[in-house]
Amino acid sequence: MSTMDQLTHVFREVFDDPGIELTPETTANDIAGWDSLSHSMLILAVENEFKIRFGMKEILGFKNVGDLLKSIQTKTS
Amino acid sequence: MVFTSATFLIFFIVTFLLFHLIKKPSLRMALLIGANILFYLSLGAPYLLLVLGFVTMVSFFFGNWIQKNPDPLKKRFLWAGIIVDLIPLLGIRYLPVFNRHVNELLSALKVSWAVPVPPLLISIGVSFFTFQAISYLIDIYLETQEAEPSFWKFMLYMSFFPKLLQGPIERAGDLLPQLSLDQPFDYGLVRSGFLLFTWGLFKKIMIADRLALIVNPVFANVHAYSGLPLILAVFFFAFQIYFDFSGYTDMALGVAQAFQIRLTNNFNSPYLATNISDFWRRWHITFSRWILDYIFKPLQLSWRKNKKYGVALALIITFFISGLWHGPQLGFIIWGLLHGVYMASSVILGPWTKKVYWQLKLEKTWLLKIWQIFLTFNLVTFAWIFFRANSAQDALYIITHLFSNLHIRTCLSGFLQLPAACQNLQILPGALAFENQLIFLASVIFYIFIAALGKKINLQNLAAGFRWGAYFAILAVLLLGFLFMETKDASYQNFLYFKF
Repeated sequence: MSTMDQLTHVFREVFDDPGIELTPETTANDIAGWDSLSHSMLILAVENEFKIRFGMKEILGFKNVGDLLKSIQTKTS
Repeated sequence: MVFTSATFLIFFIVTFLLFHLIKKPSLRMALLIGANILFYLSLGAPYLLLVLGFVTMVSFFFGNWIQKNPDPLKKRFLWAGIIVDLIPLLGIRYLPVFNRHVNELLSALKVSWAVPVPPLLISIGVSFFTFQAISYLIDIYLETQEAEPSFWKFMLYMSFFPKLLQGPIERAGDLLPQLSLDQPFDYGLVRSGFLLFTWGLFKKIMIADRLALIVNPVFANVHAYSGLPLILAVFFFAFQIYFDFSGYTDMALGVAQAFQIRLTNNFNSPYLATNISDFWRRWHITFSRWILDYIFKPLQLSWRKNKKYGVALALIITFFISGLWHGPQLGFIIWGLLHGVYMASSVILGPWTKKVYWQLKLEKTWLLKIWQIFLTFNLVTFAWIFFRANSAQDALYIITHLFSNLHIRTCLSGFLQLPAACQNLQILPGALAFENQLIFLASVIFYIFIAALGKKINLQNLAAGFRWGAYFAILAVLLLGFLFMETKDASYQNFLYFKF
């Protein structure tokens, strides 16, 4: 499973929507339920899935799924 | 110089004409900065100009240092910049009240020593531009914004007069790129700016100021009332603050558009929100985005291990700070905390209420939507009581006397023989002069008509005859308002958010 597939799986679980398809350009505006309140749950789920830990500055700087993906790949490679 | 004053109108028109006569960007920059200084000086508190200059310089230099330096140092510059930016605000607004409380405590403990209490000065605009400066520094730290190389452009970003006193709190990324001031004349934008300004003026003078006639006397002396007058004052205040603040924002956006600059809208039908977090996405948007991005998100992320309890605590602290931002009074703090508690409980109870709605087969029905709008509006209005009341004791009195001694029957008969009965009972003092009622009613109908129409029809696409007809109708109504206005008293004309 590629990192993108794995990430898509986490998104589908967190937002309880099996129809979610991610692209690097996907932002919070594109996914129902992805708002500032659920953001920390998503980050926590991603961290647990990939067994990594993000820094505050990193998370606040994520602009889209592509940024998140890049950070995961650097941490897991 | 208040937006609704004749002096401001002259100042605005002169600056507008000069701006469009001059084509050279550097001269336009000088003109606008000069206008900003004049505008701020007109408040009669010259020290405010020093504060603005101080915060501008500090943020400009710290912004550059944050950008230039590598990470551990970068963070230190960020924190130093934020703290230095906050010093004037804390000193002017919070220190006098804080020190007074300290002295009360000291005397209660029978300590003869007391801390000096600095004088309470007016701080119009300071909390708004301080927040803007802090957002600029944080955005540079997060590398979502480049530090501005031109000091003059940065100064204009900080001091632009339409947004100086009450916001919108602009992000550097939204406003700075528009400050090159070299755009060719855009008739459509300028015209819609003037229209928006007039619309804001209408909301403020014809609706907000008229509601104030009923709200102010009741809140000034709550103990003289019970029942219906209190209920009316509380609900009318909810509408007053909306029309006042959104009217101001329309005027600010309109003035800025006359200079071909688009500011961020602050309101999006907030009282149609279906829950409290929806409300905060629609009310004072630039402020709620600020507290969300710079206070709530970092707190929530640091406590993400605690899952929804971490989110709930982050919400309560964020809204506590939001209340404190409005002022160091207990009423504002309770107002903020109430919103924090509303939001936190919706995070924790959200899944259960969803289940209940599902079991009642109410999900996605219009009935549920109406119920949610009704509930949200009432929760917000309840919190406004603490925001508006002169003290927390007054607020408690209002809440405990809302439904006692209702006066419904006397007041209903009063409506039939306007307005003598209610006036005799001193339920709605003075405010019910007959012309005032008529003008107010006409204005509300006119507002609903235009607001509903505006959503369906773009005024600019109407045939010229209709369009100018609509403009003249607004002007005629405004003129009527001026003629019959009972709000010559300056305290009524000030915008509510000036004090923050």
